[in-house]
Amino acid sequence: MSDLLVLRQEPLGDGPGSVTLALTGAFARARDALEARRPVVVVVAAGDLLGQGDPLDAAVATGLLGMVRTLAIEGAKPGWRINVVAAPGVAEAGGREGLGVASVDEAADEEDPVALTIAMLAESELTGQLLQVGGANLGKLPA
Amino acid sequence: MSAAIVTGAAGGLGGRIGERLAAAGHQLVLVDLDPKVEEVAAAQGARGVVADLTRPEGVEAVVEAAGAEVGVLVNNAGITRDARATKMTEEDFAAVIAINLTAAIRLTLALEQRFVEGGSVVNMSSRASLGNFGQANYSASKAGLVGFGRALAQRWAPRVRVNAVAPSLVDTPMTQAMPPAVLRKLVAKIPAGRIGTPDDVAGVVAFLASPDAAYITGQVIYACGGRTVAP
Repeated sequence: MSDLLVLRQEPLGDGPGSVTLALTGAFARARDALEARRPVVVVVAAGDLLGQGDPLDAAVATGLLGMVRTLAIEGAKPGWRINVVAAPGVAEAGGREGLGVASVDEAADEEDPVALTIAMLAESELTGQLLQVGGANLGKLPA
Repeated sequence: MSAAIVTGAAGGLGGRIGERLAAAGHQLVLVDLDPKVEEVAAAQGARGVVADLTRPEGVEAVVEAAGAEVGVLVNNAGITRDARATKMTEEDFAAVIAINLTAAIRLTLALEQRFVEGGSVVNMSSRASLGNFGQANYSASKAGLVGFGRALAQRWAPRVRVNAVAPSLVDTPMTQAMPPAVLRKLVAKIPAGRIGTPDDVAGVVAFLASPDAAYITGQVIYACGGRTVAP
């Protein structure tokens, strides 16, 4: 489980250019981990998938989801595992550094529903999926 | 009369979108990095702007050309740099995001005050936003446009509507350059049984820009011949 890479979306604040940096950085880290056969979980703010916050954060959140789905398609044969967890409130929790990286042990220590979902994915064969934690956006658009 | 701005207008799809908006009575501003846009604009009686939208001066040139009032913005400019993720360089990933997504964001935000009487923004997304082999960069850029549009639709409501169109294969010089066997295989996956035409997509854009779509905002219309639901 310890080889899981967790990429967490953090709020952006430095203008549109930060969107390019955040997505490109996430791609590089996710691709490197997948090539090393490490599973990847990308954690985004559930509200950002629906555009309920800042437009740049929303662009990053949905951009990450699109990227993950393509990586999952390309990695189906070699067995890559990459998924997205949509967590409530992530956007309010972070700094302005772009995507942070956490180890699964760090995440699991939190013992919250998001951490438990991440831990489940570390042991799962699921790939290319979006798991929404909490019911805040039930009945809304599929992301 | 308010302006309708179309980016990526030197290409077949952008040019056709311009024609449809002109037919609806809009005063066109056609934008592209390719100087050919000036010919396209001249043929339509429109204003052509050669601009690199990844640079601040390019965005400023479009804002200036737009005049005092903008009614429609179509963010259509885009590129591809396809490769499997294992072969894709970070430079190619970043270039696609910068042009397809970040430049569109910059231009849209720069035009906020020009939507004096309200208006409509149409972002050109893609079915590939749902995932597509060899297009991690393109998928991210086109999915990012969806999220950006959803947020802006809520932030700018009710004054300005923001929506996206997501085509699949469209008959453009890019798809015409594909090996015929590959193209046939891809078309076989489209329930409509044919490749999309620029008009198929331009018609949806024109609809979203029109008063007929006055109650539609924050949405994505997949103009893909049913590809999103086929195996």
